Amino acid sequence: MAGKLRELLDISENDFDVVVRISREEDIAIARQMAKQLAQELGFSLADVTKVATAVSELARNIYRYAQPGKIMIRKRPEERGGPAIQVVAADRGPGIESVERVLTKGYTTHERSLGIGLSGIRRLMDFCEIASEVGTGTVVSVEKRRRKF
Amino acid sequence: MDNNRVEMLVEELEAGSKHEEKLWRKLLPGVVSGATGNNLRETIREPLFGLLHELGETALGVKLKLVIERTPTFPAAELLPLVLELCGELRHDSEQAVRELERILSELATPIIRIWREILLVPLIGGLDSDRAQGMAERLLDRVSATRAKVVVVDVTGVPTIDTAAGGFLIETFSAVKLLGTEVILTGLKPEIAHTLVKLGIDFRMVAIARDLEDALRQAIAMIEEDRSRQRKIVWARGSNFPGEGEGGEHDGI
Amino acid sequence: MAFKEKVVPTIRIGDSLLVPIQIDLDDKTVEQLQAQLLAEIQEHRVRAVILDVRMVEVIDSYISYTLTETAAMARLMGCRTVICGIQPPVALTLAQMGIELQGFWVARDLEHAIGMVCSP
Repeated sequence: MAGKLRELLDISENDFDVVVRISREEDIAIARQMAKQLAQELGFSLADVTKVATAVSELARNIYRYAQPGKIMIRKRPEERGGPAIQVVAADRGPGIESVERVLTKGYTTHERSLGIGLSGIRRLMDFCEIASEVGTGTVVSVEKRRRKF
Repeated sequence: MDNNRVEMLVEELEAGSKHEEKLWRKLLPGVVSGATGNNLRETIREPLFGLLHELGETALGVKLKLVIERTPTFPAAELLPLVLELCGELRHDSEQAVRELERILSELATPIIRIWREILLVPLIGGLDSDRAQGMAERLLDRVSATRAKVVVVDVTGVPTIDTAAGGFLIETFSAVKLLGTEVILTGLKPEIAHTLVKLGIDFRMVAIARDLEDALRQAIAMIEEDRSRQRKIVWARGSNFPGEGEGGEHDGI
Repeated sequence: MAFKEKVVPTIRIGDSLLVPIQIDLDDKTVEQLQAQLLAEIQEHRVRAVILDVRMVEVIDSYISYTLTETAAMARLMGCRTVICGIQPPVALTLAQMGIELQGFWVARDLEHAIGMVCSP
């Protein structure tokens, strides 16, 4: 678990098409906009573009609220086996998550103004979702969505 | 000399058709000649591919075994990579064909029909996997939004089973349609499906349920009438405030 | 309420308030919108608020939470809230996340929404 986290935290920014640092509230909108543009370039349906943009919005807000400064990294993966895909990695060296399982439960929240839908919602919107976290080290969430066949 | 051996082998192989026999005659001279290298691969590639198509992997394997037994100089080392390559090609072709069929099927299987003014009918046929369900949901929402339909009737008579995943897709689709302000009526639930749905804890309480298509259409028309009479009341009320404008104000929707 | 505090221009029709949201919502603007609407409901004795979100391209969990909260607050002030013009991709996204817009009446379009709030 901890090894996985280090590996993901050390992932090179150069491998990504876009890196957005999240330290101001406006950065959430910027990250969302970039994700939308890349998903559009890959030929995602309008609904899937919106789903990717929404997931990125949630990821960026999590960083802004709990773990700034952090960053959102996005890359296109046109040559994936299951068809073109988009990958988003949200990485921070913030406080970390105590129980990953618990934050994935719909309705769980530590923030008083939230639905507690964030991470579980992201997982529903995307095809693949991996979370590595350690208290005191940071959190990395890596998600992917592939273009549908039809 | 080689010719004789080819003839004997062809006889022994008991080809099922003239076409197959012709392919063997093309393939065997190269195989029995003891030749190797690119040259051999080029000459046998085409007949081998033809035989693979004609016989399938298993039957071709059985017949090739016979050829190997009769041919001491059988170039197994040359053939093996070629066979693997050809199998890969064949699989790629069939995968592509399946994908295309899937796409056609998914569109044919989810027609969206305007059966009445402001009412859309979606008869679902076949299983619901993730890709198909999402594609269907997107097309339906676009249609609802473009036509401003007031009611969508979803008929699941043609759906063999609904598991947790398929039930989840349906709930998502229904919720999405309702977020556009359009009502949903679900019909065609067979007793065994109703049974599993309740066992799975899926109750579709966000939509109206109809016994059959006739009942669904009746409910849908009633919903539209109700909506229209409300609109009429508003126009009438407006008319009383601004004399002369009320009567002509009513309009017809889609 | 001073004009500069308004994040979204509103239109009063009878005792209803029409709110066409023409900007992309983010955390700050949706919070400001909540404050603005509550102030306007109080000031003008509004009985129904119509949110037209036709131009909004992304509604994530926080935005929908704040909107739901606003509807609940409005209800406590005797005002109903109608939302209309949700775009198909946004509807699909909300549905897939499992978000329900509780406390809202959902209308197909502006005309439908006005019909809802005007009917006796």
